[in-house]
Amino acid sequence: MKQHILTMLEDLLPMVDFDSDFLFAELDSLGVTSIMMTLSAEYGISLEACDATPKNFKTLDSIVEMVQTKMAEKR
Amino acid sequence: MKSLEDYLIANAKIHPDKIAISCGNRSITYGELAHMSLRRSEGIKEEIDSNANVIRASQSIEFLVEYFATHLCGKAAVPLEQDIPISDYEEIKRQVESATIPADVSDILYTTGTTGKRKGTMLSHDAIIADAENLIDAQGFSHDLNFIIAGPLNHIGSLSKIWPCIMIGATVTVLEGMKDMNLFFETVRNSSEKTATFLVPASIRMLLQFGRSQLESIKDKIDFIETGAAPISQSDMESLCALLPHTRLYNTYASTETGIICTHDYNSDICVAGCLGKVMKNSDLSIDEDGIISCGGRTLMSGYLGDEALTSEVIKDNRVYTQDVGRLDENGRLHLTGRKGDIINVGGFKINPVDVENVAKGYPGIIDCICIPDRHPVLGTAMRLLYESDRDINRKELGLYLMNNLERHKVPQFFSQVQRINRTYNGKLDRKSYLQV
Repeated sequence: MKQHILTMLEDLLPMVDFDSDFLFAELDSLGVTSIMMTLSAEYGISLEACDATPKNFKTLDSIVEMVQTKMAEKR
Repeated sequence: MKSLEDYLIANAKIHPDKIAISCGNRSITYGELAHMSLRRSEGIKEEIDSNANVIRASQSIEFLVEYFATHLCGKAAVPLEQDIPISDYEEIKRQVESATIPADVSDILYTTGTTGKRKGTMLSHDAIIADAENLIDAQGFSHDLNFIIAGPLNHIGSLSKIWPCIMIGATVTVLEGMKDMNLFFETVRNSSEKTATFLVPASIRMLLQFGRSQLESIKDKIDFIETGAAPISQSDMESLCALLPHTRLYNTYASTETGIICTHDYNSDICVAGCLGKVMKNSDLSIDEDGIISCGGRTLMSGYLGDEALTSEVIKDNRVYTQDVGRLDENGRLHLTGRKGDIINVGGFKINPVDVENVAKGYPGIIDCICIPDRHPVLGTAMRLLYESDRDINRKELGLYLMNNLERHKVPQFFSQVQRINRTYNGKLDRKSYLQV
């Protein structure tokens, strides 16, 4: 899943360094929103403004974790 | 009163303890803002010889103090993007220092606006006062308002909201963009006063997509929301009306060159995309037989810095001729229907694709390229750079190269390598062929 998310997000935001440990700081509002829209559509999960936190967007791993949590909640 | 700072000082005397600006964990009162600005103006007088102060416009109290202080010592403020490349910053500084700036100029805002070419648009103190009066009169800015600004303060969309707030003694809360939507909701929720804000259509899209329930929960605290700078979709307008039934929702027609001209509350009058309402009290507007909009009145720019030829192309008979196409309905409301030329409007930034193409062509391996508008789920319109190359280009490295050589808003959102870039028989980029696709 991590590799798939990385491929999608790199395609979506080619200038962002998804290896960063400070990903949220690198993103602007458009980046955060684009990621949320892409992940919602790809995994059929519901993401809201309260999910767009520095913690959830700190690293690629934390994004993957957020997606996994949302998918588990859906089940 | 002749300048914004006259109002600032008057408000500092009348209600010195009223919060003027909030930013992050800090707030300063009108008394403190006036005092800090007056003190800083003494420093600027000593530090800067020219008639203008070129400032990186950070989303901070310090920037606003510098802005007011610059005016107080009789100089023009030149706010630039916070992340402007150093070479552009230095070039503008040189341009400003070598040009003759009329004495009544308050601000020089760098924009690509009406013509797509980067230039310094000069605004007089009177134009700023007239813009502020327009907004207070037409949108109901009031003393007990907390106005939230999340957009860049070098852009007229955000900077122009500082003006009525300071004039009327309201509070301004400055946020660092809309990345943290929760912070926006918290600011509204925790405000002891009624709130209002300016949001570009892309930010409204974001809130509707991911913050619908939070938006509904604060519906009684939002006095009004203004949008502008780019077209907002009919469906987003209708969704916002349904979510915020008691909030005034304005769609505004304005530009750096014309000032703030028309506004329309689509939550109390007709809700139609492209409708920008009636002309405000200090402005006038007319449309020629080709549909081109021209504007008159006190809000107009004084001209382009150091470019009389370009100024006389845009200003004729005391009117600014825009590149916008529109019509007036039977009630005198403006409806915007299009725009002349190749300018691409991305989230309120009007970008000349040639600026991007010229830089992209300098990247090793790029043989030819064209920048075209493309659909984007948040922005509505985004830019895609199509490039021709004889090798595989690393898009990330290309993007970083563009970021290092252009302002951030000019970096395309999408990149595609293509076999060939379409050109016309005489060798010009065939932009129309891509628009048809």
